Amino acid sequence: MKLKITIDVFSGRPNPTLYLEGREAEEAAARLRPERQLNRSEAKLPTFPTLGYRGLRVDFVSGKQRGLPQSLNVIDGDLFGPDLSHRATDPYFEDFICGSTGPIRRLPFPQNFPGLLEREINRFRKGRLKLPGRPFPLHKRHVKACRCAPLYEPDWWNDGGQKQFNNNCYNYSTNYRTDTFAQPGQAAGAMYANLTCASVRPAAEADCLINSPSANNKCPKEGHLVALVIWPNGDFHWYRKGRNGLWTHKPGGTPVTNVDNSGHAISDPRTADRGPYTDFCTFMVVMHGHIKIL
Amino acid sequence: MATSKSFDSSQEWTAGAFLFSGRPDPVWFIDLITAGRLEAIWNSLPASAASTLAHQPLLGYRGCFLRQPDGTEWSVFAGVITRQSSTGAVTREDPDRKFERLVLATAPANVLPRDLAI
Repeated sequence: MKLKITIDVFSGRPNPTLYLEGREAEEAAARLRPERQLNRSEAKLPTFPTLGYRGLRVDFVSGKQRGLPQSLNVIDGDLFGPDLSHRATDPYFEDFICGSTGPIRRLPFPQNFPGLLEREINRFRKGRLKLPGRPFPLHKRHVKACRCAPLYEPDWWNDGGQKQFNNNCYNYSTNYRTDTFAQPGQAAGAMYANLTCASVRPAAEADCLINSPSANNKCPKEGHLVALVIWPNGDFHWYRKGRNGLWTHKPGGTPVTNVDNSGHAISDPRTADRGPYTDFCTFMVVMHGHIKIL
Repeated sequence: MATSKSFDSSQEWTAGAFLFSGRPDPVWFIDLITAGRLEAIWNSLPASAASTLAHQPLLGYRGCFLRQPDGTEWSVFAGVITRQSSTGAVTREDPDRKFERLVLATAPANVLPRDLAI
């Protein structure tokens, strides 16, 4: 195994780079093993480049470590990379590399460089918490894929014309284009009478959607999962769970999107930012070919 | 329950709100006196540095509009108004949101949710 470590610290000069091989590389890789996934509030990176220490870049020149991509960034003990936003097994990995007894001592820098860098890393750690952060896409491997769910094909719906403007959240969630801004229950002559869960849910059942209140965000064996939410006495809204396990939606005649009102990917509509649609009503299953909406 | 109707926009001033997801957005007629008041407000507003409306949320209130019979349309959100006509687009600032509030105030009863926050 061979690792290339780049210390992202300089602005004008090339960043220092060092190589680890053999046991040293294996120990470093073991310390980098993902310990746990970062949660939404933790998975943040500074919104703008900063001067001074900014983290380590780690490249596996040869060999692999289970759970880690070929290249990743280590920032204050957090690991970021493709499908990776985790806390490292050793959250002080940067000290392991850059401490006065670490591999950094092999670099051709003045003797006091490791000490200066250590202080700089500590300054970065304190400052990072104060910086406005941008969310890092959360690792998606833990989101269970849904084999039977429709593909996320926003371009098909977002034509800026007939399909987009005349199909709403109900059309999109059921993956059923009617060009009529479909209303729950209308096709069955049993349209909702009030904008409440108790009224819209049975209307959707009349269209042959299957109420699955205990679905708990799990994909059904057949068909696909949708979720009904209510703006009390205002409106209803639907989400659908996609093949990658994440949820997407189409707010009225606006384009299909895969983010919530806060701009976050939607792993569970119960916890998404839903604006005024404050009541989570239920999960339902759409059996393909069984429903009729209008 | 109020839903949108077919409007002959070549004959009437219309207004509406960008609001719902499941239901059609509400659209209603505006009388000529109110249309005149809205035009007067528009004419009193300063130009805006912004050329487009502010970022609108995905769900919930996303602004409102006023449409003249000739197709000229004012789109309004968060104190910024864009007027689109055959001669092009003009954007103005309405920090007190007088135009927006007056458009929404003309909505017939029970068309807008009671808890609508703009």
